[in-house]
Amino acid sequence: MLSIKENFLETLKRGNPDRYVNQYEFVKLLMHPYWTATPPATPGGPPVVNPWGVTISFPEGMPGPFPIHDEEHIVVKDVTKWKDVVKAPATSYSEEDWAPFVEEMEAIDRNEFFVAPFIAPGIFEQTHYLLEIQNCLMAFYEEPEAMHELIAYITEFELAYAEDICKHLKPNALFHHDDWGTQKSTFLSPDMFNEFFLDPYKKVYQRYRDLGVELIIHHSDSYAATLVPSMIEMGIDVWQGVMSTNNVPELIEKYGDDIIFMGGIDSSKIDKPDWTAEETLKIVEDVCRAAGKRAFIPCNTMGGPESMYPGAYDAVTEAIKVVSKKMF
Amino acid sequence: MSKLNEVKEMVQKGRTKKIAGVVQEALDAGADAQEILDAMVDTMGDVGDAFSRDEIFVPEMLIAAKAMKLGLEVIEPQLASGAGEKLGKCIIGTVEGDLHDIGKNLVAMMIKSSGFDVIDMGVDVPVDTFIEKIKENPDVKVVAFSGLLTTTMPALKASVEAAKNCDVGNFKVLVGGAPVTEEYADEIGADGYAQDAGSAVTVAKELIASL
Ligand code: B12
Repeated sequence: MLSIKENFLETLKRGNPDRYVNQYEFVKLLMHPYWTATPPATPGGPPVVNPWGVTISFPEGMPGPFPIHDEEHIVVKDVTKWKDVVKAPATSYSEEDWAPFVEEMEAIDRNEFFVAPFIAPGIFEQTHYLLEIQNCLMAFYEEPEAMHELIAYITEFELAYAEDICKHLKPNALFHHDDWGTQKSTFLSPDMFNEFFLDPYKKVYQRYRDLGVELIIHHSDSYAATLVPSMIEMGIDVWQGVMSTNNVPELIEKYGDDIIFMGGIDSSKIDKPDWTAEETLKIVEDVCRAAGKRAFIPCNTMGGPESMYPGAYDAVTEAIKVVSKKMF
Repeated sequence: MSKLNEVKEMVQKGRTKKIAGVVQEALDAGADAQEILDAMVDTMGDVGDAFSRDEIFVPEMLIAAKAMKLGLEVIEPQLASGAGEKLGKCIIGTVEGDLHDIGKNLVAMMIKSSGFDVIDMGVDVPVDTFIEKIKENPDVKVVAFSGLLTTTMPALKASVEAAKNCDVGNFKVLVGGAPVTEEYADEIGADGYAQDAGSAVTVAKELIASL
């Protein structure tokens, strides 16, 4: 039996894996001082102002934290004046700040796992966190120049912080979040997406590669089938979060030589209060049979090795093991 | 190009900075306010259809609606009060615990541009607040609920039940949102379901026709 990493590398080479890569098993996601410099909002706790000045709330009983966007809390009220109000967080931290993360990193066996910093929010997400999403989406039409400038500024932050991250964590992979769509569509038309985001992402992903990263994983748990050519051009190796609405089998057929599709198992179907092992197995098996073995990693679409409802993620892991035995 | 066609183009392309001027020119050139309104409503209908067909995206839809709103501000004083074919009142909001409003706003804009008087209650609306609003507006024709989170589906159900059990007026209940399906809408007792903003108008009109 191949080791976890060998099996992943076979999958990446479109070679001969002896089973499915099972969800996130091949990668350890690492946090970094950005996440601790300003402690994030906790469930039921008070709202916090994040390092970009965005107020984040996390009421009890919510599946996750979110930005508060009433008139008072929107950071950028007039995008043409973004320079007056947006200030990027620190791009380097002290050795002391890094110490706990370095320790965590050193404990990871690199023969078995990839080491990937977890970067979120992504560049697009950052724009709508700052502007409020509807204002933001309109601003791409109404104030394209200001949007280009703001995006360039966020990109500069990412490029600079990449240096500090790679110096300390020496990652060989990257896990980068940016939700580019809804369930059935992208937020922006592919042309507009490319006009604003293709070059910035090419730069960011190239910078990580220059700093030693071999594997770029991008998370978008949405529809984004029409952006796959752009993902490939950006240098993304693995698209994590691909929802079933993208028609994964068709994408593999078309683009399987150039990018790996990780997902297919919609969290809305398996991550619910009344999930059962039998139903999860059936969903996973159907997804795997339709997608096949090439260029595909079955995975919950969620952006991390976890679920909202206890046990739902692990049930997918177990189901993939069962299906692997049948299919390999 | 006729001024009316120009107005249509301004809405369709979402020219938010130019539309007010063009509408004013149309008025100056002798077009009547009702004609301009109809042209904008038609165009918004086309925009909604294009969105349903996935030919345009959320930004295009949002700026078209914003342009229409700005155009409306220019003709509003000219529109004789009560003029125009009015379809009645529609109360809409996102259910308690849920802050997603892009979809709800698009639905509200489309319903409004089709001739309803829309009372938008915003997001995270408690059941009781909806009911109070219904009581304040006993002539309401459609009550529409939006829910985007699986965790707020119970709130959607509770809202529908409370509205159906409310013994005020005579109205229909419409629901929607990404996790909502036709079956689920039936199950919780809603009168209508639509999967996007374009079809929401069609369903809302069908619903009031059956009142
Ligand atoms: C944008 C977005 C946000 C924005 C919302 C901004 C805003 N002002 O609305 C922000 C960043 C604030 C946000 C916050 C959160 N979100 Co959110 N969000 C989304 C996202 C990406 C898109 C939703 C959207 O706007 N779609 C575009 C519109 C046009 O589509 P729509 O809403 O479906 O509406 C159409 C139809 O459904 C229909 N419709 C809608 N309402 C109605 C009503 C009627 C009457 C009718 C007839 C039709 C109708 O017509 C609309 C137009 O065609 C979805 C992802 C997704 N895959 O959908 C997640 C998503 C909905 N969010 C999710 C989550 C978990 C959250 C958070 C908890 C934060 C987090 N950690 O992710 C918070 C919760 C906040 C809260 N209490 O509500 C999850 C929900 C998962 C679940 N179990 O339900 C999703 C699915 C993402 C995911 N894959 O995890 N989110």
